[in-house]
Amino acid sequence: MKRMLIKRVALGLVLVLGLAGVWQLQRKIDTQRERLHEERDELVLRSPKLIQRMSLEYAPLVGAMYWTRAVQYYGEKHRLHKENLEELWPLLDIATTLDPNLIAAYRFGSTFLSDAPPRGAGDPDHAVELLRRGLQANPDFWRLYQDMGNVYYFDKKDYPRAAKAFEEGSKNPQAPIWMKVMAAKIAADGESLETSYFLWREVFQTAQDPQIKKNAELHLRLVKVDLDLRQLNLLADEYERRTGRRATKMSELVQAGLLPRMPGDPDGYPYVLGEGGKAELNLNSPMLEEKLMNK
Amino acid sequence: MKNVWTVAANTFREAVRDRVLYNLVFFALLMMGAAILVGQISIGIEDSVIVSLGLTAISVIGLFIAVFIGVGLVSKEMDKRTLYALLAKPVERWEFLLGKFFGLVMTLTVNTAAMAVGLYLALWTVKHTLERSDAWVLVAVYLILLKLVLIVALALLFSCFTTPFLAILFTAGIYVAGVFAGALRTMQAVDISARPMTLLKGISYLLPNFENFNVMGAVAHGRGVPGALVGQATLYAVCYGAVVLAGAAAIFSRRNLK
Repeated sequence: MKRMLIKRVALGLVLVLGLAGVWQLQRKIDTQRERLHEERDELVLRSPKLIQRMSLEYAPLVGAMYWTRAVQYYGEKHRLHKENLEELWPLLDIATTLDPNLIAAYRFGSTFLSDAPPRGAGDPDHAVELLRRGLQANPDFWRLYQDMGNVYYFDKKDYPRAAKAFEEGSKNPQAPIWMKVMAAKIAADGESLETSYFLWREVFQTAQDPQIKKNAELHLRLVKVDLDLRQLNLLADEYERRTGRRATKMSELVQAGLLPRMPGDPDGYPYVLGEGGKAELNLNSPMLEEKLMNK
Repeated sequence: MKNVWTVAANTFREAVRDRVLYNLVFFALLMMGAAILVGQISIGIEDSVIVSLGLTAISVIGLFIAVFIGVGLVSKEMDKRTLYALLAKPVERWEFLLGKFFGLVMTLTVNTAAMAVGLYLALWTVKHTLERSDAWVLVAVYLILLKLVLIVALALLFSCFTTPFLAILFTAGIYVAGVFAGALRTMQAVDISARPMTLLKGISYLLPNFENFNVMGAVAHGRGVPGALVGQATLYAVCYGAVVLAGAAAIFSRRNLK
């Protein structure tokens, strides 16, 4: 009886200590591997058609897995501040070949691809290809035209094609009227701060993913700064016209009654007048770094 | 028909006794895990991945049951020598075979229905509501069940003339080939001369086309399935199943059981 008990205790100890040892060792190995900075995102199979065949009847689930892998890949690179996102396109290519109705992969994937580094892969050409494929498989989903318009407008700066994308999307009876308005406005003006503000606001209001929402919010804040600076420069011009000299401090515009109070950026830091009396962001403002990064 | 029903009921009871339905616990855990995890590690596919994962699990678990238990339906009875006692009674061989077939189909129906309930629960956990389009999931589950019925018939056919190991290989092989039956027909773009092409086409029609029962992609994205397709797939399963079972009965009737 006693021997039996000893055996059981010994077995229990071996199990507990063994598992604890494995756990500890794995943690140590993980740390070692992290130091190696291994690139572990290599895709063994790159042919979407082959993977589709190998998935048998379960291509939609495998497609969702590849999409999740793309999200994880993008998130991991973002977390490690790495800019090489060359596996992103093959992952999205496979995911959307396996499941051509995977709307999320087209919408978010095109944003991940088209955004300039460090936020995205800086690959708007593949973003356009992805959206084209999405529209071929889902011609009734007008939001893909909006995404296509955004890629042409913001990333490729190809305003005629951006206008065309909005125009095509506006033909869908479910598309809102602003798609037509955007098409006309971009066709007439090309890039403008008001258009940029509207497009980013639309992305911000409709995005469900926190990362996309945060990105849109950042762009909205940056466009707001540009709009503010443009307005302040107009007021500085007005001050110069009235007084015959350029204001050197923002307070002079307030004292002249051109501004009700000291104007501030979205973070609350007051704008300043820099060299040549041009309105600028405050040197202490966190927006300055964001603006420089997004130039 | 009474004999068929008696054998079927016994087969069902035996499957339950053999803890076949224990796979439901695995399915429940998988769905719960997916419902919790997916929303956190992916973007925009919470609903669709629950549906495609659930349908895949229903299909794969069902396939395993259909192949492994289907193949063992006859061979197990022969190994245990219970078949001889049974056939000594006024039971025809074809009645025994049909009874075994319907017994496993009953098991698969109960199993699939329970998993469908689990899938809806997981969907409700993720969405906090169920929409009208979610009803299409039931259609997909029904079509998966039809596919499983065909697999059981094939497994039964092969187990009538070969060893269980080879019967499993043949059934699995026919399943994989059946998934690509449609692709065989659309191989015209490849540079193949006319005669092999006609042969390939013929084979593609002979093989059970399992793509007929696959609506996972559409249903995962809330799209409907045409009623005509469901009706035709049902008829296809009935026709093909009847042919396979008739073949199995013919082979089994001639088999020397000594």
